[in-house]
This record gives sequence, C-alpha cells and structure tokens, in this order.
Amino acid sequence: MSGFTSAVLIQTVPVLLAALAAMFTQQARILNVAVEGMMLMAAFVAIAVGQITGSVGIAVLAAVGAGVLMSLLFGIFTLRLNANPLVAGLGINLLAGGVTVFLLERVYENPGGLRPDRFPELWSVSGDWLRAIPFIGPALDGQSVIVLLAFALVPLSWLLLYRTPIGYAMRASGEDENAARAAGISVPRARMTAVLLSGLLGGLAGAQLSMAALHFFLPDMTSGRGFLGLAAMLFGGATPAGSLGASTLFGVAGAAGDRLQGGAIPNQLVLAVPYIAAILALTASRMGLFRKIRTARENRTARKAAGTVAA
Amino acid sequence: MTTTPTTSTTGPGITPEAPGPGGPAEQSASARKIREIWASVRKPLFSVALTLVLGFGVVLLVSDQPLHAYEQLFVANFSTPANFGNLLMRSAPLLLIALGIVFSFRAGVFNVGGEGQLYVGAVSAAATGLALPGLPGPLLIVTCMAAGIVAGALLAWIPAVLKVTWGVDEVVITLMLNFIAILFTSYLVANPLRDPEAYGATSRMLPEQSWLPAIPGLPTGNIGFVIALLLVPAAWLLLFRTVWGADLRAAGTNLRFAETVGVRGRREIILSMLLSGALAGLAGAVYVLGTGHRFEQNFSPEFGLIALTVALLARLHPVGVLLTSLFYAAMLNGAAYMQIATNVPRSLVSLLTGLLVLLMTVEVRRRRRRGRSKEVSA
Repeated sequence: MSGFTSAVLIQTVPVLLAALAAMFTQQARILNVAVEGMMLMAAFVAIAVGQITGSVGIAVLAAVGAGVLMSLLFGIFTLRLNANPLVAGLGINLLAGGVTVFLLERVYENPGGLRPDRFPELWSVSGDWLRAIPFIGPALDGQSVIVLLAFALVPLSWLLLYRTPIGYAMRASGEDENAARAAGISVPRARMTAVLLSGLLGGLAGAQLSMAALHFFLPDMTSGRGFLGLAAMLFGGATPAGSLGASTLFGVAGAAGDRLQGGAIPNQLVLAVPYIAAILALTASRMGLFRKIRTARENRTARKAAGTVAA
Repeated sequence: MTTTPTTSTTGPGITPEAPGPGGPAEQSASARKIREIWASVRKPLFSVALTLVLGFGVVLLVSDQPLHAYEQLFVANFSTPANFGNLLMRSAPLLLIALGIVFSFRAGVFNVGGEGQLYVGAVSAAATGLALPGLPGPLLIVTCMAAGIVAGALLAWIPAVLKVTWGVDEVVITLMLNFIAILFTSYLVANPLRDPEAYGATSRMLPEQSWLPAIPGLPTGNIGFVIALLLVPAAWLLLFRTVWGADLRAAGTNLRFAETVGVRGRREIILSMLLSGALAGLAGAVYVLGTGHRFEQNFSPEFGLIALTVALLARLHPVGVLLTSLFYAAMLNGAAYMQIATNVPRSLVSLLTGLLVLLMTVEVRRRRRRGRSKEVSA
C-alpha cells in the first residue's frame, strides 16, 4: 500500500506545484501556459548546476532562480509589452525546449539527455516521527523535502492569497481591474508578483522532477505536467485546496496507469483521464452546476441566519 | 464600440490611414494599397529580422564559421531539386494547419488545438488506408483524406460547441484535447494499428497506391503541397469575397454588433472551427499519405504550435500564410543542413522559434489594442 501511495505522491507533487503556480496567475486573471517551460528550464538548470557545484542547495536555488527568470520573461512580455499571455506562454515553452536541447547538443554534446556520473542526493525526509502521520506518513519516508514543502505550500498559499494585502491585490486585479485600480491597487505590480510566484513554484516543480529520484535531465522531461497542473488548477476552481484535490486525483490516475501498464486498461487511455476530467469539470462549472450547488448552500445558510435574526 | 467591420484585405482591424500631414487628400488607390500592405507587414518583418539577428549572435558565440552556418540554413534549401522538394513537403502541413487557424482566429475563436487535430487526421487517414487496401489509388487517396478531414473537424467541433453553448473557454479545451488526441492516437498505434514487425510504435505501411504522387521534377516533393497551394486562393476568396467570409470576420471583430445586424455569430464560430479542424486533419492525412506512408507516434515536430506562429506572423492572411509557412519550412529544413555542414546544432531553430513567438506577440496585441480592445483569453 505504501508503495502505491508513494507512487501517487511522486506523480502528484510536480502537478500540484504547477497547479499552485498557475493558480496565482489565474487569480490575477492570466492564463499561465508557460508553467511547462518554467518547469523544463528549472529541471535542466537543477541538473547542470548540481553537476558543476556538487551542492544540492545551490542546485535547488539555481532551479528556482531559473523558474523565476523564465516567469520574469513571461511577465515582461505579457504585462509590459502587452503580449497575449497565451501566445507568449506558448513562446516561453518553445523557448525553454529550444534552449535546453541547444545546450545539450552544444555544451554536453549529447542531445539525448544530461546524466551526470555523480550527483548530490536531494535531502529526503525519514524517521520514526513519520509514522505518526496517518495514511501518507509511511509513504513520505524517503521522499524529497520538496514533497513536504509542496504540501505545506497549500495552506501557505491560501494564507497568502486570502489573508495578506498582496493576496487581496492579486485577487482584486483578477476580479475587476478597474475597481482594483480605483481602490489604489497597482494592478501591474500585483500581476507581476503573481507571475513571479508562479515562476518560483514552477522552478520547485522542475527541481523535484529532475532531482528527486532521477538525477538526470531528458529533453521534454516535463512531458505535459505543466499543462496537467493547469488542468488541475482549473478543475479545482483556482483555489489551493481545489488544486490539491485535483492534483491528487490526477496523481492517483497516473500512478494507477503506471501500475496497470500492460494490464486490462491501456496506459495511454488512463493517462488521458485527467485531461478529460478537466474538460468535463470546466464544462460543468460553466453550465452552472457548481454555482447551483453553492447558491443552494448559501441560501440555506442565509435562511438559517435570517431565521436566527428573526428569532 | 461601433467600429464597422473593416473591408481591408491586409489584416485584422486595419483601417486605411488618413493621409499624413501635408499629404494630398486624394491619393492614388494603388499607392494607398501599397502603404496599407507595408503597414501590415512592417512589424512581422521587423520581428523576423530581429530574431535572425539575435540568432546570428548565438551562432557567432558557438561557431567558428557563422556565415557558412547561416548560409546553409537558408540557401541549402534551394541547392538541389531534392532539397527544394523537401522544403515543399515540409511546408504543406504548416500551410494547411495555419490556413485553418486563420479561419478560427478571424471568427474570434482561439484554436490552439491544431496539433491534436493533426494527429487524429493522420491516424484516421492511416487507419482508412490500412482498412481498404483493395481500392484503386485515386479513390483510396480521396477516401483517406476525407477520413482525415472528418476526424479533424470532429475534434474541433467539441470546443466550438462547448464555447457557443456554455461559453467554455476554447483555449483550455483545445489545449487539453491536444493531449487527449495524442494519447489516444498513441494507444491506437501501440495496439490495434501496430506493426508487429517494426521497432517502436508505428502502424503498418500503407498500400503503395495510396502514396501521394511526386511533383514532376521534384522527386521528394509530393502533390500534398499542390493541394495546400490551391487552397490558398480558395481560402482568400472564401474569407474576403463571400458573404460568409464577411459574416465570419464580423463575428470575430465584434460578436455582439455582428449579431445585432443579423450575423448568426454562433453558427459562424462553429463553422470556422469545423473548417479549421478539417484543414488540420487534412494536413495529417497529407503527411501520412505523402511523407510517412504510415502513422508514427510523435511524427510531428509540433507542427500545430508552429502553424499558430505562422498564422499570427502572417497577420491572419492566406497569402501571408503561404509565404510564412515556406519561410518556416526553410528554417526547419535548413537547420538539418546547417547541423551537417557546421557544428551549429539544429535545435537553434526551435530556440529561435520561441524567441520569434515572443517578439511577434508584442506587436500583435499592440495593434489589437489600438484597433479594438478585445479580450482574447480571460
């Protein structure tokens, strides 16, 4: 069981980090398809820097830095130069793919990938105290710290988004740009902050991808996980908890797909489930299904509140 | 906003400029036309030039023979008939997908699903060709192409219907459908369509009578390019010289206004997406019948994404799309010659593509902002 749970964790965490990355920009109303490119670049930089320096800390920092730099590029083009976020995001992805392969071919003379002979081990968590955590505790044993960090980031990003001024500014910029401006919020700054946060999270996702278990970089090794994160974020209604739930669902589907490989259900079809789920969820939310449920609940609480006032 | 849909043929939202200060009030029509064309191609040309200059900078850094590398990138395409045929072969899918994207974008739908539509078109054409090995050549070719067209159109129909019925964002849906289509076709080619004797996931070879004939004099080029080429004037006529084309552009310019004056915007959106998907599906069929002769997993070097660039760079104009897709195919092919002749890796071109996309978007939006403030993706 713990084997399967740990497989789920491994599949979930990059998607979750990508989803949180896309969530911040989505809250500021920027569709962030560039997460994929940020992750890819970070994954490459993590391995390249880790090989040169032999230091995990520097490698992780460099990966996050690479993610942030890519997001800065994305932010400059979309916010300062008024590029369409969708096309600019696809451009960032193309650029990341091109730059990484170019460097593999030119610097490492191996377009197939970058596999250092020796690579520093990413800090992992282990110990008896893990047994105290129900269900996922045993599965966490031996996982990288980024996994723990990712789960810690779910409540943290909730706090940041809903309980801090910068979070208010971001959400206001997404909700109604003009109203936010009238309220004295610097919309470009709020949006840029969201974009840079997405780079930070995307960088972490990339570092986890290449450093945690594999210690190597392959061209296009993100293989759509950034987009999957985007799907998870949309599926989860652009909230931290929703993103966590959807990413976990996708992680279970992915891990089950790996396990079922060669089994009754073809792997490729299982892998397609998250994307199908995202389409269905988006359609359902647009049809107003979720809104109906929410308003029904709100009406109930409102009636209850009205009832207590009347009484 | 009550801007009337422009009748200009040079690009979206371009209104004929007033004569400059001191200029004569009445200008000859052709001079104005030239000015208009220049105004619409100036910025794409500038971003292409800037990209090439930046690319040359990169080549200077990594190569001891930079001029030779750049020469290979562009000139080698025309050095032999075989190379030129390869160039045409490579540009056919780009041209077809980009033409389709022009229609969807002109109707105000952001179809990012070219890649997925290409894949389902290719796999349907391959499956049809394998299922009907007894048919005579021309009939089989037409049937395979029809299968590709239908499959591509069907895949594009989904986001179109979701958009007009419930307002679901077509960008996200087409992005997701790309992954679904690629995974689904890779399932098909790994299982029912798989060639048991081949290494890797490829389908069996298609019967030889289904292979597209070569263009006379160009052994490596096939008539797929001719088909694509013929569709350029057809697309132009459809877009700029028919009522339907005018309605479609009106729906894309200002949907609410168009619907007020009697354009059935929803219908135009769905039809434009069907056409867009059909052309991408045809591109897949042309690739399978003309180039691969079988369906291979990962056959496309992201044709769908590059075609998006092509369409935008061409200012959503069919003739521009022809020129731009030839330019892009030249870059993609030239990269291989460059890698053989010098020590500059071919991935330089993917790097430049990313750069070009970024540089190009800058002014695409600026023009849009000036013309009309249209929310492209929320």
